[in-house]
Amino acid sequence: MKDMRGFEAVTGQEGKEPVSRRDFFSLVGWGGFLAAMAGVGVGSFKFYVPTVLYEPPTTFKIGPPKDYGVGVDTRWKTIGQFWVVKEDQGMYALISICRHLGCTPNWFPDQERFRCPCHGSIYDVNGNVRGGPAPRTLWRAAISLDPVDGQIIVNTAVRQDPDPKSIEGIAVFVDPEPRKVAPFYIQI
Amino acid sequence: MIDRLVKYVRDSQVWQSIFRHGYPDTDRNQSLVMFSSVLLHLHPVKIRRSALKFRYTMCLGGLSAFMFLLLTFTGIFLMFYYVPDTRAAYGNIKDITSNVFMGGLMRDLHKWSAEAMVFLVWAHMFRVFMTGAYKAPRELNWVVGCILLTATLLLSWTGYLLPWDQLALWAITVGTKMAEATPFIGYAGPWGQQLGFRVDNDIRFLLIGGTVVGQNALLRFYVLHCVALPVIITLGMVVHFWRIRKDGFSGPL
Amino acid sequence: MAERDTTENIFPRNPKKSYALMELVKGQGFQTRKQPEDTVFVWPHLLYIELIAAVTFLAGLLWVCTFKHAPLEDMASADTTPNPMKAPWYFLGLQELLVFFDPWLAGMVLPVLMIVGLMAIPYLDVNPKGVGYWAWRERPFAIWTFNFGFLLWWIFIIIGVFFRGLDWAWYWPWDDWSQHKVASSATLNDMNVILQGWGMGAAGADWATYVLTILYFVVFLALPAVLWRGFSKQLGAVRYIIVWGLFAAMMLSPLKVFLRLAFNIKYFMVTPWFKL
Repeated sequence: MKDMRGFEAVTGQEGKEPVSRRDFFSLVGWGGFLAAMAGVGVGSFKFYVPTVLYEPPTTFKIGPPKDYGVGVDTRWKTIGQFWVVKEDQGMYALISICRHLGCTPNWFPDQERFRCPCHGSIYDVNGNVRGGPAPRTLWRAAISLDPVDGQIIVNTAVRQDPDPKSIEGIAVFVDPEPRKVAPFYIQI
Repeated sequence: MIDRLVKYVRDSQVWQSIFRHGYPDTDRNQSLVMFSSVLLHLHPVKIRRSALKFRYTMCLGGLSAFMFLLLTFTGIFLMFYYVPDTRAAYGNIKDITSNVFMGGLMRDLHKWSAEAMVFLVWAHMFRVFMTGAYKAPRELNWVVGCILLTATLLLSWTGYLLPWDQLALWAITVGTKMAEATPFIGYAGPWGQQLGFRVDNDIRFLLIGGTVVGQNALLRFYVLHCVALPVIITLGMVVHFWRIRKDGFSGPL
Repeated sequence: MAERDTTENIFPRNPKKSYALMELVKGQGFQTRKQPEDTVFVWPHLLYIELIAAVTFLAGLLWVCTFKHAPLEDMASADTTPNPMKAPWYFLGLQELLVFFDPWLAGMVLPVLMIVGLMAIPYLDVNPKGVGYWAWRERPFAIWTFNFGFLLWWIFIIIGVFFRGLDWAWYWPWDDWSQHKVASSATLNDMNVILQGWGMGAAGADWATYVLTILYFVVFLALPAVLWRGFSKQLGAVRYIIVWGLFAAMMLSPLKVFLRLAFNIKYFMVTPWFKL
């Protein structure tokens, strides 16, 4: 095989196709170019990923349990995006973010339902979906008692989200009893 | 006197360097004006009389392009008084509407021409479909048109985040939650979590630069709205017009 | 061959001139089937039309601006969602779709399919007729399919704009839009749960929904080949599958709306990874 100047190309072992100098440089050139472009791509992507975040706090100290009456308490919704629900034996915190597309549902005491203004999802007090498009149940936030002053601490970054199933009458349902475990439930 | 002045100006080197020929009232000059002007050469020199019929195009495509120009114009004005900062943006919009001279008009025009553009682009697509203008050899131009349609909707979407009012926040919350539900690359979508995506590394996190819609989201959407998407749409329009010229107008023969 | 007389008639030879018409010959020229070009200069004819259109439209916009101002709601607050939260009208079709489908489908897959499907149109339409004029009868399938989808999009928008009120409930124009509606007492069920209610085992009901869903697509992919053989042959295998696959995807939305409204079905198929 001859290259363009007519020199015999360096041949390798018998029976193998030799790579001409022209092909070799072409390969190295284009390979290097593509590798550099790939590097630019990866670099641009990594540049686009924020490394430092300044986001609102997720932990709230919300006072002692005796401040809350039985039922759904909405006072923290506008501050920390969660509701405090008190039952006879315990308390839990529901995160007020609709599991459909993230709007903030409203609590209707007369209907005993949370209803979302964006796409009409309806939840009951356990967070189970009673209507509308929501695909999962409302998150429950981590809740605990401060051992020092006895106040409730809610952390909305830690969330309970069991897989729902479908039962007769409730399309998105999670049995509320097994959800009553630490750190998502406090006994009082 | 005035005639002499006009003649002096018209014969000057400056005038001659800008306008290479006389007023386009002769065949020759009407052709030359199309060749020599960068803006006008988007048009052919001559066009079939039947293609001028309003009933055929209803001016929808041209008006969409005009809306884009008007939006660029009003958008640049708005940018002088707007800071993409979550603490300042809402107040800036209030200032623009109530204090800045003609600021309210600029914002109103920007808003309504944006809505008009969405409508016109849809209507233009409908017209092109109904008259079969997408068929060979104009397939590629239809595809480019679809890209322009998508870019128009994305421009609208990134635009209404900027005033940082309730609509802005919740529309973006909802819109980016959809991104979160993308299969494979969003953590709430099918196979997202199985592929290792979390709330702080999936497609939504990239889009809004955080886990909640906040300052990073506003800045990102501002850059997309004012720079990235207009550049994309301009390039698309260049190709779109170029292909009409090259493939010919589909109008009645 | 030669038509000497005609030639002489049209252009008599003049000995004083150095040129003359030699001969007129009957035959086919390359211009025979074309009508005379009826063209006009773009300057001024087209440019004035464009200018008038632009100025008229701008005047209309300015007129709108005098009495209708761009809306500005309260300052963003992450804690309270306005009720109802309506996107601008051009996205309300999508928002309405989200009521019936999971976000991954209504928010991502269906819109992407719409755009990709639109882009694919020129490569799927094999009918060469109807270029350059408003044609209805020459391409019925293309026109009906496109208009059905386009109409569906606008119906969803109209529902979103005029019939959705507080809590995204259905409001008629004559209802009191300031009063909350009582949440519908009807409970939503999944298809497999309904089948279980009819006496099927849990696994059997699951499989029945899978089979039904696959059957839906099979019907859309098989039926046209039987009903319209000529048209299907024209399309070819690849185009045929894409066309009817996209068609089936488009028909999913009216079907799901119907199932939801008529039978209170939330999902017609449930898998561990996604729900339809």
